[in-house]
Amino acid sequence: MKRTLLSFIVIMFISSIVLAACSQKQQEPEPPKESSDANQEQAEDPASFDPLGKYETPVTITQVLSYRPPEEQDALKGVTPETNAYLKDLKEMMNIDLKYLWSVPMDQYAEKFSLSIASGDLPDMMMVDQATFLNFVRQGLVADLSEVYENYASPTLKRVIESDGGLALQATTVDGKVMGLTTSFQSAVQLAYIRADWLKNLNLPVPKTMEEFEAVAEAFVKNDPDMNGENDTYGFAMNKNFLVGAWAFDARGIFYSHQSYPGGWIKGQDGTLLPGEIQPGTKEALTKLQDWYKRGIIDREFALKDENKVSEDIVAGRVGITLGEWWVPNWPLNLSKDNNPNAEWIAVPLPEVGGESAKTLISPTLNAIMVVNKKYKQPEVAVKLANYYLEMRKPKYIDKSSPDYKGADSGYIYNWFEPRFIYPNYLDDAFIAVNEALDKGQTDIQIPEDFLAAGEAAQFFNESKKFMDNKKDNAAWGFYYSRVAKEGGFGLSKKALDDKQFIQNEFYGTQTPTQLERGGSLNKLMAETFTKIVMGEDIDQFDKFVESWKTLGGNDITDEVNEWYKGK
Amino acid sequence: MKQLTQRKGRYMLELPLHLMLIPGILVTLVYSYGPMFGIIMAFQKFEPAMGFFKSKWVGWKNFEYIFRLPDFQQVIWNTFFISVMKICLGLAVPLILALLLNELIRGWFARFVQTTIFMPFFLSWAVLGGIMIELFSIKGPINSVVSAFGFEPIMFMAEKNWFVAIVVASDVWKGMGYNMIIFLAAIMGINANLYEAAEVDGAGKWRQMLHVTLPGMMPIIVLLCTLSLGSVLSAGFDQILVLYNPIVYETGDVIDTFVYRLGLFEQQYAPAAAIGLFKAGISVVLVSISYYLAYRLSNYRIF
Repeated sequence: MKRTLLSFIVIMFISSIVLAACSQKQQEPEPPKESSDANQEQAEDPASFDPLGKYETPVTITQVLSYRPPEEQDALKGVTPETNAYLKDLKEMMNIDLKYLWSVPMDQYAEKFSLSIASGDLPDMMMVDQATFLNFVRQGLVADLSEVYENYASPTLKRVIESDGGLALQATTVDGKVMGLTTSFQSAVQLAYIRADWLKNLNLPVPKTMEEFEAVAEAFVKNDPDMNGENDTYGFAMNKNFLVGAWAFDARGIFYSHQSYPGGWIKGQDGTLLPGEIQPGTKEALTKLQDWYKRGIIDREFALKDENKVSEDIVAGRVGITLGEWWVPNWPLNLSKDNNPNAEWIAVPLPEVGGESAKTLISPTLNAIMVVNKKYKQPEVAVKLANYYLEMRKPKYIDKSSPDYKGADSGYIYNWFEPRFIYPNYLDDAFIAVNEALDKGQTDIQIPEDFLAAGEAAQFFNESKKFMDNKKDNAAWGFYYSRVAKEGGFGLSKKALDDKQFIQNEFYGTQTPTQLERGGSLNKLMAETFTKIVMGEDIDQFDKFVESWKTLGGNDITDEVNEWYKGK
Repeated sequence: MKQLTQRKGRYMLELPLHLMLIPGILVTLVYSYGPMFGIIMAFQKFEPAMGFFKSKWVGWKNFEYIFRLPDFQQVIWNTFFISVMKICLGLAVPLILALLLNELIRGWFARFVQTTIFMPFFLSWAVLGGIMIELFSIKGPINSVVSAFGFEPIMFMAEKNWFVAIVVASDVWKGMGYNMIIFLAAIMGINANLYEAAEVDGAGKWRQMLHVTLPGMMPIIVLLCTLSLGSVLSAGFDQILVLYNPIVYETGDVIDTFVYRLGLFEQQYAPAAAIGLFKAGISVVLVSISYYLAYRLSNYRIF
């Protein structure tokens, strides 16, 4: 008897293991499909192509959302994407119900959206990248927007989209049909941000060359720059994604300084395109980073830290130098000043090597592309959403001193709303207008309504004023120093772009077949090898990497890319 | 005649029990057998828009493709190594614990130890992973101990051999309470007369363990051992996903993490499905072998 009982228990245990093992592979139950058929009966009178017109009966459009916390620090507490005031106004103004099939934090989006594609459970309107866009078009998943764009896009929307001379529209036009809408992405160059108060504490000049950077970074590690008597600082911040797919606190700039452009295709002397990752400059940059790591300039555990972890180090005051684009003062440098009132950050160009200033690799790219599901019966609703957003960005709505102000403090969270069409030159235009007004000592800024960056210019001006009135307002400083200050993030970035201090990535086609097949493996190999080299493995591993890279598909990719280049 | 009514009575008695099985069977059909239809993807050039019905049929192309991938063999070996280590230690450690615990005087202390050992089983790797990375970081508590003994601090999570050791050890630690309970149940099942007889024959505690307890547990040990064969190609996806990083790919990247990156980030659905099917195929063979072994060695059968 006892024996049967025992075997019963065992069976129960085992079968629960087996069942658990089986159930691991299951996909989540699919979310109930929002039916878009309900909209079908609604046919609008074709005579009234009103870009902001209100529908008689409510129409529904579904989306999926990747969200971040609101950027504004005064954002109303408790607002969710579903209760975003932009949606409430949208309903009132145009009688459109915007529904999210799901919304996830940004870092989970790629995975979740990929699952949605695989299960064919796509929303009515989506924002996608270029590769996905071309896939969708090829598979006939998305609607032709030519007509609705022509008829429903507001004049502002058309100006925003076509302000780049039609490049973006051309990129989303397939066989004469507009299959998606987007704007050109305005590239930025990478800069170095340095703790100026630490420089002062140690009596060091602002570094310019690689040697000076190195001396400063080493002093930041060894000479107790924060004067707290503890050995708790490091010179150069770096996270584990320091090259492939990096977006901040990385080492791309060090590679650029050594004229190495991993991930890019640079025209060689014979006119063919060369892959950046296997050029000799890359080895030099790795040697430099390895040396820095050995000397403790780079955090010993950088390989275990992602961007968020490193941003915590920056805020905690453990970091002296970090690389990043113009927006870094807006996050996390402003928080670092909140945390430590003495912290002073300055932006400087990337270190020079051999008297040559570093050139950032720039790839001509597009912002996210808006596409409409072919099954959705009223594609014009998506265009009207775009109109609506631009309408809401008019100065009277985003200027804090305006009576009609609709800001984050009353629940208008702009970075949750899609589609947001970004006027490519908004930073440039606003930068020039605001600096002009500030130089003249104006107390407020007069901008014509049809100035495309009007909303931004008003906002930049106000934040700059706020900072000038109160130098301790760190949020305003982040805004000012990233977007307005001439020696700040965007100021330096714009100067480098205006002076043509950048390198163009010559390949901007879609992924070649071998890239599609081997790209993941090759990137993995690169990340693995480079990280190990930085952490002390023999630098000759780089030559081995180059050989493997070539034989594992790199040579085929090079051929395919050059084929594309010739046929361009 | 009497036998027949008896059988019928028994049937009526068991009918409600059989009915209670229906929801379970339905759930299994819908969620475990339904998705199996997706296996077809492994033989197609799968295009989501076309679906299963219109995507082009490519036969074994996806399988050829995955075997050509440079990392694939490494990944299989890593998976195999990690899971074999996990299986061996995952049986040995709970066995020793059960034997030790069995010698403890029954009472609140034994129960307390038993519960404490079982507790980590309920923690999720998502939480535990974060804690472990902190614990093993260069300024973490483990390294304080290491430096206290005069050694250089070790970067546990960034050193390929330490990484595997930590993965295996933490998995054993987390799961040991589970098998320990099974082993304890087995020890309970041993006839107390045998111990008395052994004592009369002059056997001490050690001898009793060697000659009574262990032989008495042998069927269960063999059973657990052979049944875990089926999971040789699953090295613990969620655990490794939260712990690994590019530097330890060489030893730490396993089939499941590989499929995860391939399928979800590179959107190569069909090759990912092919690897999944390949893994499932091998698992079926192994489960069959282990089932047969379990039957032969400890007379255990489910059906």
